[in-house]
This record gives sequence, C-alpha cells and structure tokens, in this order.
Amino acid sequence: MSKNKKETSSENTPKVEEAVKTEEAVNAAEQAVQEAPVVKRSAHNTAAAAAFNAAGEDVDVRRQKGEKRERKIKTNKIPYERKKHLYGYGFIALWLIGSLWLFITPVITSLVYSLSDTTLMDKADALAAGYTSAGIRTEWNNFAHYIKAFAGDPDFPRQLVESIGEIIPQAFVIMIFSLFIAIMLNQKFRGRTLARAIFFLPVLIATGPIITVINGDMASQGISGATQFSALFKTDLVSELMEFVGIYNINPKFTEFIEDLTANILNLVWNSGIQILIFLSALQNIPPSAKEAANMEGATAWEFFWKITFPIISPMILANLVYTIIDAFVSTDNDVMTHVLKSSQLGEYGYSAAMAWIYFAIIGAILGIVVLIVNKFVFYENE
Amino acid sequence: MSEKIITNTSAADSEPSKDKKHYRVTNWSIIKNYVHYTPEERKHYTYIFWRRVGGWIWPIFRGVLIFGLAFVILYPIMYMISASLRPQAEMQDPSVMWIPKNVRLQNFKDVWEAINYPDVLWNTIQLNIVASVLQVASCAITGYGFARFQFKGKKLLFALVLLQIIVPPQIIILPQFNLFRNFDIFGLLNAVTGSTVSFINTNFTMYIPAIFGNGIRGGLFIYLFRQFFRGLPKELEDAAYLDGCGPFKTFISVMVPNAASSFLTVFIFSIVWYWNDYFISSMFFTNSQTISLNILGLANTMSLKLTGLTGNAVDYMVWVEAGCLMAIAPILIMYIFLQKYFTEGIERAGLAN
Repeated sequence: MSKNKKETSSENTPKVEEAVKTEEAVNAAEQAVQEAPVVKRSAHNTAAAAAFNAAGEDVDVRRQKGEKRERKIKTNKIPYERKKHLYGYGFIALWLIGSLWLFITPVITSLVYSLSDTTLMDKADALAAGYTSAGIRTEWNNFAHYIKAFAGDPDFPRQLVESIGEIIPQAFVIMIFSLFIAIMLNQKFRGRTLARAIFFLPVLIATGPIITVINGDMASQGISGATQFSALFKTDLVSELMEFVGIYNINPKFTEFIEDLTANILNLVWNSGIQILIFLSALQNIPPSAKEAANMEGATAWEFFWKITFPIISPMILANLVYTIIDAFVSTDNDVMTHVLKSSQLGEYGYSAAMAWIYFAIIGAILGIVVLIVNKFVFYENE
Repeated sequence: MSEKIITNTSAADSEPSKDKKHYRVTNWSIIKNYVHYTPEERKHYTYIFWRRVGGWIWPIFRGVLIFGLAFVILYPIMYMISASLRPQAEMQDPSVMWIPKNVRLQNFKDVWEAINYPDVLWNTIQLNIVASVLQVASCAITGYGFARFQFKGKKLLFALVLLQIIVPPQIIILPQFNLFRNFDIFGLLNAVTGSTVSFINTNFTMYIPAIFGNGIRGGLFIYLFRQFFRGLPKELEDAAYLDGCGPFKTFISVMVPNAASSFLTVFIFSIVWYWNDYFISSMFFTNSQTISLNILGLANTMSLKLTGLTGNAVDYMVWVEAGCLMAIAPILIMYIFLQKYFTEGIERAGLAN
C-alpha cells in the first residue's frame, strides 16, 4: 500500500515542476500530500512539498518578513499532521518497546541458539570464563543442529510429516463443521441461547490442560469419541446408520473416512469453539435486508448461501483457517511440539530451537500457500 | 421465475381480501394439479412446495443435530462431575454408569488439602486479573494507535503484530526465560548491586509482558482492538478534539466508554486464556503456584499424600476428576454470569470485521 502511495506522489511531482506557481499545481500538490500523508515528511525536498509549504503553511513566508517574535511562536507549533504522527507513535510506544525487548530479541536469540552449541553457565563459571553474569553461552557450529534434525534424529522427520498430514485435512473439516454449526446457531429457534452457551463451553475448557486429563481418563476406561454413543445406546450406531442410508461399504475408503470422522467427533466439536464464535459474529454482519431481498426474488437457501452468505463471510473464512492451522500446529499435544519441548527440558537448547525453527518455517510456507490459494476465493467489499 | 412471482403477488395485492385467500395453495393441491401447470408455474410451485417441506424438516433435523452435539460437548463435563462424586472402587464397577451408589464428597476435601487449594486459587485469581487488566489496557492503547493514526512504518509495525500472532510461544519462551532468570535493565542492576534479579516463580514474569502488550495472545488482542476502533465513527473524536481534548484525553474520555462492552469481552477472553495457560506458566513457575499447573500432576500428588508412594494414575482417577472440577469451577461460574457477552457481545468486540 505505502509503495503505491509513493508511486502516485512521484507521478504527480513532474506535473508540479512545470508550473510551480500556479494555483492548480498547488492544489495538485496538496492533493498529493493529502493522499500520501505517510510520505509527506520524506518528500520535503520534492517540488510538491515545497509548493505545499509555500502555499499551505506560512512558516517560510513569515521568516522572510522577519517578524521575529511571531516567527518563533509559529515554528514552535508542530504541524497537525506531524503531531498526529507523533501521537501515533505515542500510542504504540509501550507495545513497541515491549516487542523489541520481549519478542524480537528472544526471536533473534533463539535463532542464534539454533545455529550454535549452547552451554548453560552459572555465575562462578561465567566469571571464570570472563563474562559478567550467568546465562547461556553460544558457539557457532555450522548448522549442525539443522543437519541433525533431518539426518540424525530418528523421530523428528517422521513426526513432522505425520503432523502436517493430520493437521491440514483436519483444519478443512473444522472449517466446514464450524461454519455449518454457526449457521444453525444463527437461526432463530427456541433455546438458542442455551445452545450457544453449550457450544461455546469448549472455548473455556479446551484451551487448558483439563480436557487432556478428562480425555485421558475416559480413554483409560475405554469410552471416548464415537464409542460414547455405543456405550449409551449399546450398539454401533454409526455403521448401522450408514447401512440404513445404504452407503455402508460402497467404498471401503469412504466407510473408513466416515468412521474416522465420527470417531473423532469429540475432538472436532471440542476444537471448533472459537471458530464457531468467529463465524457466528461474521454471520451476524449479514444485513437482514439481504435475506428479505433474496426471499422476494425466490432464492433457495442453497443459492442464498453461495451468493450472499459465502461472499460476505469469506474474509473471515480465511482468517479462521489461518487461526485453525496455527492453533493446531502450536498446540502442546502436537507430536512435534512435544518433541521440541522434551529436548529443551533435557538442556539441548540449541537443538530444540533448531527444530522449532524448522517447524515454524514449514508452517509459514504451508500458511503462505493456503492463504494464496484461498485468497482467490475471498471477496473483499472495498475493492 | 421471478417475474411470475411478481405478477402473482401483484395480482393478489390488487384485491387483497378475496384474492389472498384464493392465492393460498396447499401442498396437496400443488401435487394434485402439478400435471396441469405450465412449465413456469411448475418451477414456481416446486419452489414453494420444497420451501414448505424444508420448513418442516429442517427444524427437526437441526434439533436432533444440536441435541446430539450438545451431548458430545457435555459428556466430558458430566463424566467429570459423575466421577468426582464417587469412591474410587466404583470407577471399575460396571453397574455404575452415571449416578454413583455412594456420593463421596471427601474427594474434594482431599484435593483441597493436597494442593492447598485456597492459596493456589487466590494466587491464580490475582495473577489472572492483574495480568488481564494490564494486557487489555496496553493492547487497547496500541490497537487505538494502529486504528486511528497515520505514521511512518505503520504497515511494517502492524506486520509485527501479525507475526506475534503467528510465532508460537515455544520459539521465544527459552530466551524469555533467560531474560527473567537474569533480569537486568541494560546492565545497570549488575553494575550497581553486583548481581541480577531473578523473576522466576514471581508473578512479574506474567505482569511484565502484559504491561507491554506482549502477554498471552497479546497480538490477537491488539488486532481485535484495532478492528473494533476502526469500526467506531470518527465524529465521536472530532467532537472531543473541537472541545480541546488531546488525543490521550479523547481516548480515555470518549473511546473507552464507547468500547466498554468490547473491553469486557476481551477481558473475559484474556482471563480464560491466562487461567488455562499451562505451557508458559510451567516454564516460569517451578512450584505449581497456579491451578492449571497442579492438574497434570494431580494423580501423583494424591498418591503421595494418601499412601506416601508414587502410584498408578488410574487408581487416583476420582481425585483427579474432582481436581479438574475444582480447577474449572471458577471459570464456569464466571461464564454462567457473563455468558451473554460470549454469545451476544462478540460481534461488538470487532471480530466481525
């Protein structure tokens, strides 16, 4: 965006140079400056800015007149636009300091760790080695950790492939499921508030260690996922239902997929709380008049979904997909993450940082591809 | 198709009382007369027919589905409650499905004593509320700066916010741990007192990032606030500026009151995330001083307390479930009172943009 703005202002400058003193040029320059407030200060030397200063602001004019007292007052006053810049920095200053200190420095440090042999030194060792304080000391080691991750580690590459293979399809299933649930919860029916309250419960609980414990306990008793239903109704509900509909064993792979899906229904429901919440808020942004108009025109629910609902919420679908993928990748029950944590607890700081960076690079690449593809189907209202 | 409908309705409108009655076609008559319709009429009446049928079937289908999924969601919670109320022997009793034969409240009492519940709870609440207040305040200020001001490098800095959302805490936690382990302000402390301060096991490890908008999911909160403030009308501030308020005063006296419900929503989310956080607190607190930290090792704690030996986790299930219930109870109580801010208020929190 800022690139575009710079281009437009530089396109305007030659025009201005041709007729600096005419009013039109001043207007054009003013327009250019207004269009690109971001580049205004850096463009002080250009003709556009000069013309703007000469006409719009009287600082230079006053200086020529030599009225010293008034000039002093005027120059002390910071122009409104620049003042706004300063206030902008003022508002984000706290966060910016914090980010440099608590985010960027750690990120760089972790990158250094991943490229180095690390030794943890206590105070006495550090003083003996000529340092002033205790801490982790590093020594460059020619990507040894990265090579080890792929060539020397028996588990890491396999876990990497497995977790990617699990997470990406699951993210798409979560998307479809949560959108479907959100559409249902957005309709008017009796007990809607109660239904919503229940569906958002996972948001409270699933982000913590409690659900892991409960699931572990249920699994140790042999009740989890779809077996809940079997335990309740004393039958294999899912395959009976498939047989009833007549889709049982049409294709073994399909049957397997459906059974896997229903077996994972607990995970699915428990992992979609926030996605449902986000979709629901997006759906509430669809104007009621759109629904009325569609009804008047005789649109079916199917057409309404694809022609109105889907385009309006498509930016949120993208945001939600990104959130889902990130959340699944960095969750602590993820195999790779457990591996990374374990090796960091063993004191292999450099190696665990290297694995985390490889993992993060792969997530970044996957996210980039997903965003590029999905973005093609996203409808932005303002463009 | 649409033309047909319009002509139909306009015909009905011209003579309202008589024709409207006449226009009402039952499903049965649609089926009966289907063969006599022109193709256009067929299309129209098929649409009406399926709309009506759908209007009958969909609510039933929806009801069944919502009931089933609600069951799946409530199942672990019911399991937790049921298990926590029974003696350990009844865990293996196949005749006990949901309702225990003997209700045993001693489980809660045992856990209460074993993890020193009042102290841990008080520390967790304190940590959560202080950190969340600091975090919400700093993120709101930052979000407002991004939403309303133009400054050089804004795009780049906002990209940093997005990066903070994406980068997992696992990458930066270790250097952060080091930072708090040997805390120093540009080497000043070391120079003056001869040693650095360790913040490990103090709540400052959570408060300091929160003050600077870098707490748990800080990036996400900044993003939410930016979206929210962008949605508020600019006229609100212009009026305050004309009255001579500076931007900071405008923010506090005009924007904050207008954003009250959004502040509350974000605050609740922040509380929930701090409450449930296990990973970051397990790095900074080595002595189990929050509730989440006590849960995963609870079986071990209980076996040590009850028998003095390290036992098998399966044998201490009822106490673990009781502990889970005690850990989640404060959040559940908060949710019951404030659930409308989850279910209705989220669109005001700026997620929708």
